[in-house]
Formats: sequence, C-alpha cells, structure tokens
Amino acid sequence: MRTALEQAVQLVLSGDYQLINIISVTLQMSIPSSVISLILGVPLGVLLAFCSFRGKGALVILNRTLMGLPPVVCGLLCYMLFSGVGPFRHFRLMYTIPLMIIAQVILITPIVIGNMESFAQRITPAVRETARGLGLGRGRTFLLLVSETRYQVFSTYLLGFARSIAEVGAVSMVGGAIAYKTNVMTTAIMNYTNRGDFTLGVALGVILLAMSLVLNLTVSLIQGRLSR
Amino acid sequence: MKHKKLISLLLALTMVLALAACSNTDEPAETPAETPAETTPVETPAETTPAEGVDLTILYEQDDSMLNTYSLLAVNPDAPFVDADGNAVSDVYINVEGAAALINWMLSQEALDLAANYGYEEYGEYLFYVLDDAPVSTAEIPAATEDTATIRMSTTTSVNDSGLLGYLLPFFEDEYGYTVEVTSAGTGAAIANATYGNADLLLVHSKSQEENFVAGGYSYVLDGLDAERLPFLYNYFVLCGPSDDPAGVKEAASVTDAFALIAEGEYPFVSRGDASGTHTKEISLWPAELGITTEADSVADYTGWYNYSNAGMGVCLTMAEELHAYILSDKATYLTFRANNGVME
Repeated sequence: MRTALEQAVQLVLSGDYQLINIISVTLQMSIPSSVISLILGVPLGVLLAFCSFRGKGALVILNRTLMGLPPVVCGLLCYMLFSGVGPFRHFRLMYTIPLMIIAQVILITPIVIGNMESFAQRITPAVRETARGLGLGRGRTFLLLVSETRYQVFSTYLLGFARSIAEVGAVSMVGGAIAYKTNVMTTAIMNYTNRGDFTLGVALGVILLAMSLVLNLTVSLIQGRLSR
Repeated sequence: MKHKKLISLLLALTMVLALAACSNTDEPAETPAETPAETTPVETPAETTPAEGVDLTILYEQDDSMLNTYSLLAVNPDAPFVDADGNAVSDVYINVEGAAALINWMLSQEALDLAANYGYEEYGEYLFYVLDDAPVSTAEIPAATEDTATIRMSTTTSVNDSGLLGYLLPFFEDEYGYTVEVTSAGTGAAIANATYGNADLLLVHSKSQEENFVAGGYSYVLDGLDAERLPFLYNYFVLCGPSDDPAGVKEAASVTDAFALIAEGEYPFVSRGDASGTHTKEISLWPAELGITTEADSVADYTGWYNYSNAGMGVCLTMAEELHAYILSDKATYLTFRANNGVME
C-alpha cells in the first residue's frame, strides 16, 4: 500500500522527467508573472496612496473590483484576444507560457496595487509629518514613503506568488495544459483527478505545498535580515 | 514572521494527516481475463468481481448502438473563420503540412497496428479497434521543417485520458521530428477550439458534430484521401452502474431498454452534460418521450435522479461511484479509472 505522501516523496526522489518538467513550467510561469505584477503594482499602489486627486476614490474602487476578477473571466478574455481568430492572433501566443504570464499579470497586479495602497495609505500621514519636519520636497517624501513600505513588499510578493502558483482557471484556458509545454502543477492535478488518479493528484498537491513552504521560509529569512 | 512559519508548517501537517487518513482504501487492481468477443453482443460475465475500491461495474456493452467511432479531420486553412463579433477573419495560421503529415501517419499501417494493440498488456483488453474500412495511407511523410514542426491537435478527454496519444505520438515525433501539442476537451469544445483557429487537426468522436464541422467548410480533403471526415478507430461505450444493479439493466434486451429501465425506476444517472461525444451518444439512447437533449433545460424535470454534471469523463465516473449511479462511459476511460483506484504499479 502506498500513500499519497510516500508517492510524493518517491516522485521527487526518482527525478521523474515529467514531474521536473511540470515544476519547471510552473516556476517559468509563476516567477515572471509575480515579479512583473510586483514591478507594476508596487509603484502604482504607493502612488495611489500618496497622491490625492479627483476621482481617486473611483480608481480605488475600480482596482478593488479588479482584485475580485474571476480567473476564468480573465482567461476567457485572453483566449478571445489571442486565439487563432482574435485581434492579437499574429503574436501566435495561444497555448504558450508568455500568454499564461500575461493572464496572470492581469489577475495579480490589482491585488498588488490594492495591498500596497491600503498599507501605504495608513502610513502616509506619519511619513508626511516626518518629511515636513525634515524639510523634504514632494519627490523625496515619496521616496521615503516607498522605503517605508519595503517590509510590506515582501508579504505582497508572497501573496502574488501564491495567487500565481495556485491559479487554475485562467492558465488552463489560455495554456491548454499541453504536456511538456504548458502543463503546470494545478492543471496537472486537474488532469490526474479527471483520470480518477487521486493519489497522484494529492502527491502533486503535497509537492506544490512544499514549494510554497520553501519560498515562504526563504522570504521570511530575507525579511528578517532586512528588518534587523 | 514567526507565526507565518508556524502556520505554513501547521498547514503542511494537516495535509499530511488528511492524506494518511484517506489513503487507506487502496485495493489490488483486478485484471479482467476476458478477451472481447468480436461480433456477438456480450454482457459482463458474472465472474468479473469488481475491485473492492470500485463498485462501479460494466453492466452492458458491445451492443451495435454503443459503437464509438473516432475520426480525424484536418482543419481547412481557408475555412470561413469569424471572430467573436462575427466578422470574417482571413489570415488564420494553420499548420497545413504538419496536420497532413500527422494524419497520413495516423492512417499508416504502422500507426493503425500500434493503436489496435494499445492497452492490451496493461488492461488485458483491447481499448481501440481499427475500423475494417479505415482509410489506409501510404503517402510519404515529410520530415519536420522549422515552419511545420509544431502541430496543434485538439482532441477529446477520452482519447487523452486513456493514454492512447501519449503512447502513439512519440513514435511519430521521434521519427519525423515534429512536436504535437495536444489539448483535450469534450468533443463540442474540441471542435469549437478548431473553429476559433486554435488547432491544425481534430481527433474526435461525435459523428453529427463532425458533419456540422465539415458542412461549415472548416475541414477539407487531403491529397490522396477521399473525404474530410476520416473515421479510423472505434471502441464501445459501456453502461456502468452499481454492481448490485437495482434497475436490472443486465437483463435488458437492448441498450435502449436498459436506459428505459433506469428512467422508469428513476435510478440515479450521471450525465456528462458537456456536449461531448459521450453526452451526444447518451441522449440518443433515452426513450424519446422523455425529451432529453444536450440542453440543461430538457432535464429540469428529472433532477431527482438525472445528474447533469458538465464535467470530464473521469470526474463523472467518480461521481457515479459516489452516488451509486448509472453512467455511460467510453470503455477506455472506465478501464483506466478502475485501474487507478487499485494499487498503481
């Protein structure tokens, strides 16, 4: 009798080619999509908190709505744009990792913006106070605010990465779960479940969780170093 | 930060405990010894005792109306493609040479022999048979070039889940240097995918939907072959259900009688509900007066026993197992499903 856990351990130890490929595709998708979202979202989020202008409230609400964008809707949108008859068909991105990254960036960026905005909003008055005391200009006040949010950036990144690695609706739609090309952990688990192979599905789930644990520990360590 | 670590660890621990608790049900896989009879309709013999892990049993099979024919169709590069707003789109990229190469290979004697023998070693039964009148191609297959190397095949979950393509395609890929990208969905979705210009060829199993695809101008006749739709493999759908068979379908004279018995007694039934080939076949087997179609509305009155699930074959089999329900499945997926619930070697 083999439990799913034993199977997970055995799969990892045996260096199964397909498993390594699935993990590699997952990382090739998750790392760029979460990093790009972070690069786009952090400045936008902090800026949104820092500036005050007409219609800011509406923007915040719009962003919060996008935070709840269902992945399948995002997947469908990308599918229609990039499919063989869609307006962006010439890029030939259908069923490729870059399109999966695009779909995920659309999903994750609002989450990063929202997360940074609500954090920066809270500390902005104190930072302004300090900046006024030091006689800093507007630009340097903004930089000060950015540097004050650096601790939050880590947990925001983890949130984005978690969303990216766990997401299945959009990536299965635009990626097509093609073996050795666009099959990631979550779509592979779906495939195994479809075949009634729950043990292997759960084994992959354990590996997915372990990857997340390793990343969390790493980031926690870096975060700890930085805050010292 | 400390408690973040703790939470992660706790989560992992909970998962492990849950696994330990639920993975004690593995049972040895049963190897059916019976070889399929070629012509006479047979029912599953009584000595086939199901594995303890799986109660779902084949109750009715190999009736002529349970034939399940798989066809190949090349996607026409000059098809009347339209975008989401219905505007004509002319320059849709289709890998014409690659699709032709793969179709000619699939219809070569070599590939047909491979397909015919697939699964016998693992399951003790043939999963696919070659049609007597399958078109056989002797065309020369060109090696892949940079432009033609990637072939996009849209197929059904049953072909993919049974492992047939995973077994066949490497022979083709290794010899000629192509890469075949397989996406799988129910036949309805697989065909829709091709009409959106996302596939170079189709391997599907729903005659009426294939004929609509051809009639719409989406397929074309390849050089050396004489039709758009190229039926080449077949197997049988099987009616599965709880081993104690409360509706008594085992004794039914025909499969339509068997379905009538299920409807009469309102025994739970799981339907794919996804416009797949299996779903299309299933609705053709119900008594006409029930008025069951592929639309969900048509079964609104039968929700007490008819489960319109909108899911893949494997998921539906699992559901049928849980609900002690009857279900129509292609044989290949059912055998894979049963094998995977036993101990995997």
